[in-house]
Amino acid sequence: MLRNLLGLRQIAQRTISTASRRHFENKVPEKQKLFQEDDGIPVHLKGGVADAILYRLTMVLTVGGKAFRMFEGTAYAIYQLAVASFPKKQD
Amino acid sequence: MTHQTHPYHMVNPSPWPLTGAFSALLMTSGLAMWFHFNSTILLSLGMLTNLLTMYQWWRDIVREGTFQGHHTFTVQKGLRYGMILFIISEIFFFAGFFWAFYHSSLAPTPELGGCWPPTGIIPLNPLEVPLLNTAVLLASGVTITWAHHSLMEGDRMSMLQSLLITIMLGIYFTLLQASEYLETPFTISDGVYGSTFFMATGFHGLHVIIGSTFLTICFFRQLNFHFTSSHHFGFEAAAWYWHFVDVVWLFLYVSIYWWGS
Repeated sequence: MLRNLLGLRQIAQRTISTASRRHFENKVPEKQKLFQEDDGIPVHLKGGVADAILYRLTMVLTVGGKAFRMFEGTAYAIYQLAVASFPKKQD
Repeated sequence: MTHQTHPYHMVNPSPWPLTGAFSALLMTSGLAMWFHFNSTILLSLGMLTNLLTMYQWWRDIVREGTFQGHHTFTVQKGLRYGMILFIISEIFFFAGFFWAFYHSSLAPTPELGGCWPPTGIIPLNPLEVPLLNTAVLLASGVTITWAHHSLMEGDRMSMLQSLLITIMLGIYFTLLQASEYLETPFTISDGVYGSTFFMATGFHGLHVIIGSTFLTICFFRQLNFHFTSSHHFGFEAAAWYWHFVDVVWLFLYVSIYWWGS
């Protein structure tokens, strides 16, 4: 009877491990093949179109942000200078 | 086709150092704009570009190591040195806040009432939630060691289980600490007690969040079979960082919560 129980346990374990294998298969070999292709593409773009989109988005936001900051910063600096140039009259 | 005859990693040209530097500029000037001109757009842009940079840069490192095989033993040694030096720099970062705390608390000025805690400050009871927090982090140190051993023994399920428990303990700590923050009878503006308390524990809390995030990434990498039983430096780096966070808390608890009450 004990052997039957042990057998049942083994089957249950095997079922569970098969189920988890269905959800999470080892895709690393595929990725290794993709990223080791000798196509000269740098690693940050080698994953596909999504990489390029994300890269472009990041560059636009950073460089655009820098331009915006310089614009905003300069605008504020000129504004402060203008305010300072015309002192408020003391009543 | 050319092959390298050395064990080092000559990386592809990458835009992320540049975007990282720009994002740092946007964040710092964004902070200034928020503090002085009540505008958050620059800060938000900076934080977003910072996140984008971190995601893509570390994604590329995973690609280079796990998928392209560039992380030879020599490269791994360099990465180990790098992580150790980074943690040492963080130790110095916290040393500053501890210095400030001891400077003010060892010789309390007459303005504070000549005593520590200063007059009027009701400190938190170190035997209540702070003690629970200590137990939570110590337990998480045990579970992460369990995870590491499971990983080295090739026990996939145990590793996932124990790493998940570690992450949950980290989240539990963060929630407990957040609730404590809402309950404190003192604020950051309550003199030097408030300043030292919230600067030290606040930055520690931030590091717990960072550590928990790092561990979560390791969890998903383990799910996707990135780690082997002999090569899993990403996990080891996360574990080192987590132990560091735990040790900082122990110092905080003993110095600020216990001795400082």
